[in-house]
Amino acid sequence: MKGTLFTLTGCTRCKIVKRFMEERGLTYEEKDIKAEGKEDFQKFYTTNRKSVYRGPEGVEFPVFFDGVEIRQGLGAVIAYLHSGKKLDGFVSVGTLHKEWVDGLHVSGGDPAFAEEFLAVLRYLKGNNMKLKVDTKGKNSRILRQILDEGLASVVVMDVVGPVDLYGRILGETVDVHDIRESITLTSRFSEYRFQTTVAPLLEQDGRARYMTPEEVAQAARLIEESTGSKKHPYLIRPYNPEKAADPRFKALKPMTPQEMFGYRTAAREYQVFADIEKE
Amino acid sequence: MQLKNVEELFFPDGILYHKEHAWAKKEGDLIRVGITDFAQDQLGDIIFIELPAIGDEFDGDDEFGSAESAKTVSSLYMPVGGKIESVNHDLEGSPGLVNSDPYGAGWMIMLKPYDLSELECLLSRDEYVSLLKDS
Repeated sequence: MKGTLFTLTGCTRCKIVKRFMEERGLTYEEKDIKAEGKEDFQKFYTTNRKSVYRGPEGVEFPVFFDGVEIRQGLGAVIAYLHSGKKLDGFVSVGTLHKEWVDGLHVSGGDPAFAEEFLAVLRYLKGNNMKLKVDTKGKNSRILRQILDEGLASVVVMDVVGPVDLYGRILGETVDVHDIRESITLTSRFSEYRFQTTVAPLLEQDGRARYMTPEEVAQAARLIEESTGSKKHPYLIRPYNPEKAADPRFKALKPMTPQEMFGYRTAAREYQVFADIEKE
Repeated sequence: MQLKNVEELFFPDGILYHKEHAWAKKEGDLIRVGITDFAQDQLGDIIFIELPAIGDEFDGDDEFGSAESAKTVSSLYMPVGGKIESVNHDLEGSPGLVNSDPYGAGWMIMLKPYDLSELECLLSRDEYVSLLKDS
């Protein structure tokens, strides 16, 4: 694979990617955007602006461009260089910095490529990075491997809803055993958190509604049933209808703080540390 | 990136300043607009500038475009209300002109003001520098 790697002077993440490419004999042209690559980056940015991710601290570096695909950030660039697009669901550009890498989605990718995903995690950890992985419950076998190898420093599991709504919210068929297993495994990491977003649902008549407090409480109950404990870190997150793609969800009113308290109260029956995510 | 002190930046006399770091220069019955040395220094190397179309109209303090660097995106604000008469197309290929020459080749728009008296609400050089030092 040939390509251009846009880097920043002094960027440790860029150095890790460069080392990876050199170890694998991948040819690339490095352009430091603070030095000789300034003009080339400006041209690249002008042409590809809509496809370039900007996080809270601006454009995420390193940026790799092979003439077709753009990948940004340590995890996503290494994953792409390792396995091409096969790992796209597993790894996205993250937002954490310094020694942390996030954007690592255990349930997001095709389990047929589990070994490639794990190899990327091993490489990142082997370069002294701390990994924050997330899951929605699918691919528990991969999560088990991550646990057994001690690859993740933090795991966040989205328990998207109660068992009877789980597949509907994700928009795909789910294996309840897989979800329960992921919950159990998540609780065994040294640092972890469960969370549930008060998701919108479509009724059969096409009407949109939010999950009810009772339904969120049943999600909290699923955690209790899977782990035998009511005492896990658990966050309930309001849904932001402004970001919805479906116009029926966009039309929903944002949840008020008072309404969110109703969810917290209901969930605390099964998870006593349930709290509302602060903005 | 090391930001400069106000004393190290350049603020010419003979132009007016807007609190959101635009400058305005009256040229006949038109106003030329750009961003100040302070604004370009805060942004760092500018890699893209989005400018309005000729004929677009804005009120004073409205956002007329944006300037993007690797680290941030900043809105650009109209110092006074008016209609866009021309834009600096050189910035499409060379947005760095705003960094290298913010009051000259890095100008952004020429506008026909609705009301020239709005210029009286803008800041003098000294008032703008005081604003920067107080903030």
